[in-house]
Amino acid sequence: MEFFLQLTLNGLVVGSIYSLVALGFVIIYKSSGILNFAQGEFLLLGAYVFLAITSQANVPTLPALALTFAFATLLGLVLERVVLRPLIGEPIISVIMVTLGLSSVLRAIVQGIWGTDTRPVHAVFSLDPIQIGPLPVARGYLYSAASVAVLLVLLTLFFKYARPGIAMRATAASQQVSLSMGISVRRIFALSWSIAAVVSAAGGVLLATMRGGVDGSLAVLGLKVLPVVIVGGLDSIGGAILGGLLVGVLENLAGGYLDPVFGGGVKEVAPFVALVLILMVKPYGLFGKVRIERV
Amino acid sequence: MRCGEFHTTYASDMGIFDTRRARWVLGAFMVALFAVPSFATSYWMDVANRAGIAVIAAMGLNILTGFTGQISLGNAAFLAVGAYTTAFLAGHGMPFVVACPVSGIVTALAGMVFGIPSLRLKGLYLAMATLAAHFIVEFAASHWDAVTGGVAGVSIPSPRILGFDFSDDRSLFFLIIPICIAGLYFAKNLFRTRVGKAFVAIRDQDISAEVMGVDVFRYKLLSFAVSSFYVGVAGSLLAYQARIISPENFPLGVAIDHLGMIIIGGLGSVLGSVLGAIFLTLLPEILRLANSAAAGSFPGLIQLFTPLKLAVFGLTIVLFLIFEPDGLADLWRRIRNWFRLYPFSY
Amino acid sequence: MKLIRSALLFLCLAAAARAQEIKVGGIFDLTGITSDVGKPYAQGVRDGVAWTNENGGINGKKIRLIDVDYGYKIPEAVAAYKRMTGDEKVIMINGWGTGDTEGLKAQVNQDKIPYVSASFSAHLTDPSKTPYNFFVGPSYSDDLRAWLTWVKEDWKDKQGKPKVAFFYGDNAYGKSPIEAGRRFCKDNGIDLVDEEIVPGAFQDATSQLLNMKQKGADYGYINVTTTGVSTILRDAKKLGLATKFGSNPYGFGESLPQIAKEAADGVTGIMVDVPFGENVPGMKRLVDFHKKNHPDDTHDTFYVRGWTYVLVWTEALKRADKAGHLTGEGVKAAMETLRDFDLGGLTTNVTYTPTDHRPTTKVNIYQIQNGKLVKVKQYEMERRPDWLGL
Repeated sequence: MEFFLQLTLNGLVVGSIYSLVALGFVIIYKSSGILNFAQGEFLLLGAYVFLAITSQANVPTLPALALTFAFATLLGLVLERVVLRPLIGEPIISVIMVTLGLSSVLRAIVQGIWGTDTRPVHAVFSLDPIQIGPLPVARGYLYSAASVAVLLVLLTLFFKYARPGIAMRATAASQQVSLSMGISVRRIFALSWSIAAVVSAAGGVLLATMRGGVDGSLAVLGLKVLPVVIVGGLDSIGGAILGGLLVGVLENLAGGYLDPVFGGGVKEVAPFVALVLILMVKPYGLFGKVRIERV
Repeated sequence: MRCGEFHTTYASDMGIFDTRRARWVLGAFMVALFAVPSFATSYWMDVANRAGIAVIAAMGLNILTGFTGQISLGNAAFLAVGAYTTAFLAGHGMPFVVACPVSGIVTALAGMVFGIPSLRLKGLYLAMATLAAHFIVEFAASHWDAVTGGVAGVSIPSPRILGFDFSDDRSLFFLIIPICIAGLYFAKNLFRTRVGKAFVAIRDQDISAEVMGVDVFRYKLLSFAVSSFYVGVAGSLLAYQARIISPENFPLGVAIDHLGMIIIGGLGSVLGSVLGAIFLTLLPEILRLANSAAAGSFPGLIQLFTPLKLAVFGLTIVLFLIFEPDGLADLWRRIRNWFRLYPFSY
Repeated sequence: MKLIRSALLFLCLAAAARAQEIKVGGIFDLTGITSDVGKPYAQGVRDGVAWTNENGGINGKKIRLIDVDYGYKIPEAVAAYKRMTGDEKVIMINGWGTGDTEGLKAQVNQDKIPYVSASFSAHLTDPSKTPYNFFVGPSYSDDLRAWLTWVKEDWKDKQGKPKVAFFYGDNAYGKSPIEAGRRFCKDNGIDLVDEEIVPGAFQDATSQLLNMKQKGADYGYINVTTTGVSTILRDAKKLGLATKFGSNPYGFGESLPQIAKEAADGVTGIMVDVPFGENVPGMKRLVDFHKKNHPDDTHDTFYVRGWTYVLVWTEALKRADKAGHLTGEGVKAAMETLRDFDLGGLTTNVTYTPTDHRPTTKVNIYQIQNGKLVKVKQYEMERRPDWLGL
């Protein structure tokens, strides 16, 4: 029983990171209908920029974080303007491919600048676990769970009360109507890309400090999170959060109980199996909006 | 002096070649193609064979994605199914003439299984389902040791036909290229039939297609099957050419490469599949040559080669999508038309 | 006219220089999942070659290293091998990983290309199966056996059998010594309670560690490279586990305490080569070369390893050249004449015979104490015939 609880708890905290990264996907998809395959590279870039600022320029953690977020905002704005805007209205395959192409360019830039070695990051939180009852939990994961909670509240408030947030929801509902109501759809797209980039950078920094180092394999998370957003439904923020936690738990349980049976690897493939099964039953994910098609 | 294309019968409108000259040019090209092994070095024969295999695989993907509009990120997985089927059959003593087509058929069946979700899924959600298929096949390839040899891989004997041993790249060329040409010829004809037209109708508007009497699900599955058959044959040839295959031969990057090929070549174009596949196979080789030429003066470049390759690949795709969304095939058509009507083009 | 004559002269000289060149292939991992240790190793090989060329070359002939980054992907290594043997006509190859070396072993045997690779897989030590494969150091299997011997000694005063778990990567490298380890545990009264497989690149090993905790392992042997070892150590620390960990020659080095920080303390590991800068006779040329050419770089034991490889195969090239057999077969035969060949303390002396390619069976165990690598013990494993190739 303790084993089960420990796996579940661990799945929940790991899942909170998935939720965070998944939020980035959903924000972009919700407003512009683009699934950004370069999200993992956003995360990687955020982690490396944070690393460069803290270890090479010796800036303390909090200002470094602010600078990282500023950089991510800029990155989101530039990419949206240069790469994505020319593709508005193009078929889905082109949009998928352009983000895939973007991901290899970003990865190449990171590799070219920082190489492929693991770079150590200054320790932000200590490695000693916190005890919840009999179960030890890693400190870093608790911070990530906390920041996800904070972000969730902030985003919900943003979408509910802030002008740009409402405008973003309006754009998602109908671009034409929003345009005629005086909303600048372009600005909304740019905003959603920079928010997504910031959220991903936050995920990257959290992951890097938890692992104690940064290397290219962080970008794998971009792919790992795809089942999360699909399971939750591409256009549902609540779905992304819940999907992240679900996938985290599923992964850990599969790793704990099935890996020994199959000789490893089940942990990685389990979310994708779940993805296929869920899509068979609910083609738009658990919380995704069902589209009614008309000719 | 010709100044345009004028068809007077339906038959000529449907014809593969516009003019008799096109036939001659193609014939001359084939002769030149089969002369390649007499002067190319053994490494460039390896590149040529890889290009030939990529053409078949890209053609298969283009049938599904370019002509039928079903986005698939599972091409590497289908390639793996074909390759491992061949490894299994050849390992049990089956000759090439059995192993290669059977690999195609097995992959077609696998493609149909993964095509079932396409009944309900569209666009991004379908792309995700095929992505899941990729990871599931990859898991099977690295853990079903009895058939796939696990992560260590499995080796394949060289193909034999009527006692002739195709043991090196130079002889394999004469096996791969004819299969490649046959595949292209079949594809070109497929889109002159009802089946091919139905595929295109589904791509353009599936609901309308259904209203017009196209059984959407049946044709979608058929498209998955035909496409996967091509990819399976490509996988089989890849197994025979590489002689040792492991899950590392089929990473997600291969599926992305294939998508890149049909994007750069041109979606929904047979010629585009060929041009795109050749282009993306040659690109890293040319980069490598340029890199090693420059590495003499800048030794640090060898370290930068992998990121450089990545960056060029990504940039090529992004730039093509922004500036040449119809790909090389369209570029080729425009160049040809300009010369065809020269000097009276306007 | 003068210009033309000098140009001609230059061309002749260039052609002559080319004829005096010995081409050697280098297949390295600079960007793949093992690049953390592959890059310093490649640098070591390159510097070793440059140093040899500056110091007389191979009896006056220069070595030209044709190197390529294969990103730890077997298909890339196969393509590079085809290019090197087909177009460049190299005489031998200095390779890297276990998966690609074992994948190419039939091909190198057929083409008679000596393949000296950084993989210490014991599967490459039996010349009746892999006559053209060589490496410089004890095999992974002997490393694991030696570490298990250390475990037994460490456990001596406690009751019952020590419980051991293996962590290994899901690839040929990770799995190479596992069978040998299983048998050794069985024969030596060690309880192998758990085996955990980790993927090639991973962020999180918590579920594997929880499994191990449930099985109650006292010791864990981690068979991945330093980055992965660090992730496992840190995750173990986060879970508050008391298991004593050890690692193999690619999981353990100067960089481990830097990445894993306090989680690395007390961890044991196999060192094939001494740390960079260690006070041994053979280190002087490395330090001098380092000072002369790139004084700002930092180097580690994997860089030293690259050098030891070059020192071994250049000696074989020299012997083959003297014998007038500068061919693949000649180099292989020359390798097999090396007896107790002295590497100046950089690593243990090596011996190759036509019937046994185990270079040495001496294994050095180090421990990280307060962030420093300290040698704790040397074991000499038996040269048992039934362990040849296992």
